[in-house]
Amino acid sequence: MSLDDAVRLTEILLALAFLQQSIEHIDAPRDERRLFLPRIFLSILLLLGFQTQWVCLALVLLGLLILRRFQGPYNGGSDRMSLLILCCLSLVYFMPTLRWQEYIFGYLALQLVLSYFVAGWVKIVNPEWRKGRALQDVFGFSAYPVSEALRTWADRPRLLCVMSWAVMLFELVFPLTLLTQTTLLVGLTIAAAFHFGNACLFGFNRFFWIWLAAYPSILWLQQRVFD
Amino acid sequence: MLQTLKLLLPALIPSWRFFDTIAPSPRIEFTLLKTELDASGRWQEFRPRPARLPIGSMLKRLFWNPRWNESLFLVSCAERLMASPTEHSSQEILNRIEAELQRKSIDVSATPYLQFRLVFLSREGAQLQRHITFISPIHRHFGNADS
Repeated sequence: MSLDDAVRLTEILLALAFLQQSIEHIDAPRDERRLFLPRIFLSILLLLGFQTQWVCLALVLLGLLILRRFQGPYNGGSDRMSLLILCCLSLVYFMPTLRWQEYIFGYLALQLVLSYFVAGWVKIVNPEWRKGRALQDVFGFSAYPVSEALRTWADRPRLLCVMSWAVMLFELVFPLTLLTQTTLLVGLTIAAAFHFGNACLFGFNRFFWIWLAAYPSILWLQQRVFD
Repeated sequence: MLQTLKLLLPALIPSWRFFDTIAPSPRIEFTLLKTELDASGRWQEFRPRPARLPIGSMLKRLFWNPRWNESLFLVSCAERLMASPTEHSSQEILNRIEAELQRKSIDVSATPYLQFRLVFLSREGAQLQRHITFISPIHRHFGNADS
């Protein structure tokens, strides 16, 4: 995948993710709608590929206003990933040389790898995660399970211990999937399935769409470095 | 502007420490009161989760999940209120409770005062514990004309 193709695919996936996020604010209070209606308009322009460098810059400025409105991210990690992708895209357009464009887009790919590896590392060094107790707590009393019925999963410690280890090991070995295109595709498929599961069980739908938007960067980087 | 750039920095250099520890988890409860001095209100959980959620609804929520995402934002506000209290976090919680009452067309004419509290759930040993960590001042409920 060429850099141009990867950037364009990122624009399209980011625009779709922004549309999905922004439409959720349609019936929000007026001051929120004032921020998200322009975001819908700009996302459509980005999707169409119209003046993308200026559209991205406008989306960054709007992103700052949204950060100020909510005094931080509205939706934690998914908003942070949204801003990271957006800022990297914007910088790519304004970099003077191809080399610098590659550094910026490579930084996005590196952060995607770290998003899995660091998440796995901070879990595996915690004995509560290694025993499966942490995941029991997630289901047992955290604010995230989408229904009361899911809380009963906390009573299945053996299953949750297996799930904990599966998640930790996958997150930790993710960087190794970069070695070949096939392993990377398998890794990204598993990662997408993981986000899909989180969206169903914990309602993290925005994470699912925005992490997909970062995948072209890693596909490009793998080809650039290893092929 | 500097403050906004400070908020941007964690997005540019993220920590990615998802679920490193399972911290005490907030629930927002509110009560409707007849007067400012009324202490007889019944506390109820704000937006309790459904008993069950069919697979079809889970899949639909992949595309349309505004209430749940708003609830996640309120979890952040509750955590921020405990970590570094600001009027913003308190007001966000209050405004969204008011908006929900209005959305559900709940008659508040007899109970025009609103108060909320934060209850943090945590596990101590094998037991779940509930700690009330914050009780808001009592607010006159005017409805949210802005929603």
